[in-house]
Amino acid sequence: MALKLAGMSWFDAICHAFATMSLGGFSTHDASVGYFDSPLIEGVLIVFMLLAALNFVTHFLAYRQRSLMPYRHDPEVVGVLGLVIASCLGISLYVWQAGVYPEFLTALRHVSFNLVSIATDCGFASTDFNSWPIFAPMWMLLLSCVTASSGSTGGGLKMIRTLLMLRQGVRELEHQLHPAALLPVKIGGHAVPNQIVFAIQAFVMMYIATIVTMTLVLLASGLDFVSAFSAVIACINNAGPGLNEVGPGTNYAGLNDFQTWVLAFTMLLGRLELITVFVLFTRAFWRG
Amino acid sequence: MSQILPVVHILSKVLMLFSAAFLLPLAISLGLEDGAHLAYDEAIAITFLSGAVLWLLSRQGKRELQTRDGFLLVVMIWTVLPLYSTIPLLSYMPDLSFTDAYFEAVSGLTATGATVLSGLDGLPPSINIWRTLMHWIGGMGVIVLVVAVLPMLGVGGRQLFKAETPTPMKDSKLTPRMAETAKGLWVVYAIVTVFCILALWAGGMSWVDALVHAFSVMSLGGMSSHDASMGYFDSVTLEIIVMVFALIAGISFSTHFMAFRMRSLLAYRFDTEIRWFFGVLGISILGLTFYLLYKGFYLDFPEALRYAAFNTISVATTLGFSTTDFNIWPYFAPLYMLFLSSFIAGSGSTGGGIKMLRAILLYKQVYRELIKLVHPSAIVHTKIGTQTVPAKITYAVLAFLFIYVASIIILSFILAASGLDVFTSFTAVVAMVNNTGPGLGQVGPASTYAILNDFQIWVCSFAMLLGRLEFFTLLVVLTPVFWRK
Repeated sequence: MALKLAGMSWFDAICHAFATMSLGGFSTHDASVGYFDSPLIEGVLIVFMLLAALNFVTHFLAYRQRSLMPYRHDPEVVGVLGLVIASCLGISLYVWQAGVYPEFLTALRHVSFNLVSIATDCGFASTDFNSWPIFAPMWMLLLSCVTASSGSTGGGLKMIRTLLMLRQGVRELEHQLHPAALLPVKIGGHAVPNQIVFAIQAFVMMYIATIVTMTLVLLASGLDFVSAFSAVIACINNAGPGLNEVGPGTNYAGLNDFQTWVLAFTMLLGRLELITVFVLFTRAFWRG
Repeated sequence: MSQILPVVHILSKVLMLFSAAFLLPLAISLGLEDGAHLAYDEAIAITFLSGAVLWLLSRQGKRELQTRDGFLLVVMIWTVLPLYSTIPLLSYMPDLSFTDAYFEAVSGLTATGATVLSGLDGLPPSINIWRTLMHWIGGMGVIVLVVAVLPMLGVGGRQLFKAETPTPMKDSKLTPRMAETAKGLWVVYAIVTVFCILALWAGGMSWVDALVHAFSVMSLGGMSSHDASMGYFDSVTLEIIVMVFALIAGISFSTHFMAFRMRSLLAYRFDTEIRWFFGVLGISILGLTFYLLYKGFYLDFPEALRYAAFNTISVATTLGFSTTDFNIWPYFAPLYMLFLSSFIAGSGSTGGGIKMLRAILLYKQVYRELIKLVHPSAIVHTKIGTQTVPAKITYAVLAFLFIYVASIIILSFILAASGLDVFTSFTAVVAMVNNTGPGLGQVGPASTYAILNDFQIWVCSFAMLLGRLEFFTLLVVLTPVFWRK
């Protein structure tokens, strides 16, 4: 509805609404959302993308209680919004300083849309951000690894795991000083059992190991470094466009069959949260 | 202030001792009359005097060291010694900026081997000796650091290696145990170095070159007296000698020490890392050889094997010599070599990276989590060799890895934001953090780090220290908690 009001046709509105809410990123136009060139549509999409990037359980609670309190109690919400807003401002400044856009507001508009789109793993693009100074799109891809909440439709590590890993890192530092101290890892006021911290650490390590391995596989098959690395990140996070040869200005058709299969596998790995797939490869799974 | 006085007191002694290190290049400079001897006179005087002054000033604060002091001491030694090591470089080359000189010295003492200097062949021999002597001294420091100091401080699951250290670890005081462990390990280190010098000389190097390269190889540093690195000699014999000694230096020195004391090779059988070390390296070298042949980069097998073997071993063990510009190989090969450098070196070796033992533990832990998914109530232990690893240590190792990866990502971003291309920033940071030396792209083996601007050079110096001090040691000193009473 909001999209229609902002000026899309009904057909476009439905297509883009589906792609936004699932944080998918297919569009009916090659130029993606850049086709409409309308700040209003971009604004609407940003809002809905952020909504889709939050935990749907929180939305459900808020809906049932008819209040905004659940959002306050969800530690991820603070993390997601804080990180996205800080990054938007930072990258806008950076891109503006680098002279890509003459005006700060233009920079802010393009940066917020593309950054939110990539960070939430949606993958729409309103401009070819591949031509920005390389730091900006790389940062956006990094965000796509961590930003989406658990229970949202986004991909990547999920915000809650990121928060936990950070807390765990800090805890280990404190342990260096007070080896005997018992320091629980806390998220939103609750102590997290060590067992879970453990499992999450193993998950993060698998995630990183997968990225490294897949990147090396693509490199061996002849892709250049930035394309290979960004394609793997974009696929494992289910974000969509990578950089360079697979950037928002082009598509994945430039890859050969082998590379396309590798990336298809990577997307599944990412969506099924790695472990579901890897466990199939252990001997214990098939025994008895 | 009273908190850091005892640390300063020890630092002052280290400084006075360190001033003696300049004697070797001084003697060589006088012997060969290369015209650089004034630089060392100056360095000896300044270093010794400032050590003596600090010693007098901090005499009051003498007391037994605690864990907290340990962190500070390690960080101070590794940041202050490079400061004094720059003196001969700055004095002989007035054009060199302090930033670059400090980078060179940090790269020396952390045994990284990255350089900002070119025209190495034209430098006085004594300056080249000094550059690699820094490696060698740094290597001595590293061995003690990783075998004796870090396990005691409990850095990144290092407690795991306590069992392997040669002296009993019951005593809780810092100094006596460290001294004894250190002595034993240094004897082994020195003996192997002497063999390395002799072997290189017998293989056809001049005395000076043999000395320079032996220092570099044993500490897995990577500076050379030639711009073309080992490629200058173009000799298969010398390459084989370097490979053998690089492999020796890539194995834990406490294992060498055990073997040396027991006069048997059995000690190597009990070292879990060694099997993986040789296994992974062997397979990788063969794989890369075939890859380079397949890509048509080399035409016959022996030639491909020669270049693949030397450069892979050199980069993977974090030595960093090169016999060819592997930057122009198809990207996969050098990136894979850098990837190896992040975990191949043994836990008590002079190499860098996360170390083989942590990599094995990581692999086992991930496997354990998968088994637990299939059998949720099963109790599965992580074992290294025959030892069960306590959960607490696995924890610390996982946190270590997280910090390792996070540091690489953050530092790469900083370099990328400062204007370097992604490929160069990423490989430079990996090469710095692993203390390897040459990166790829603009900082590949055929070029130097001189193209970086001052800010980037400082980031790189920080990255080298971070990697060498195993992250936690340096980071913990930077936390506010550390300075609170």
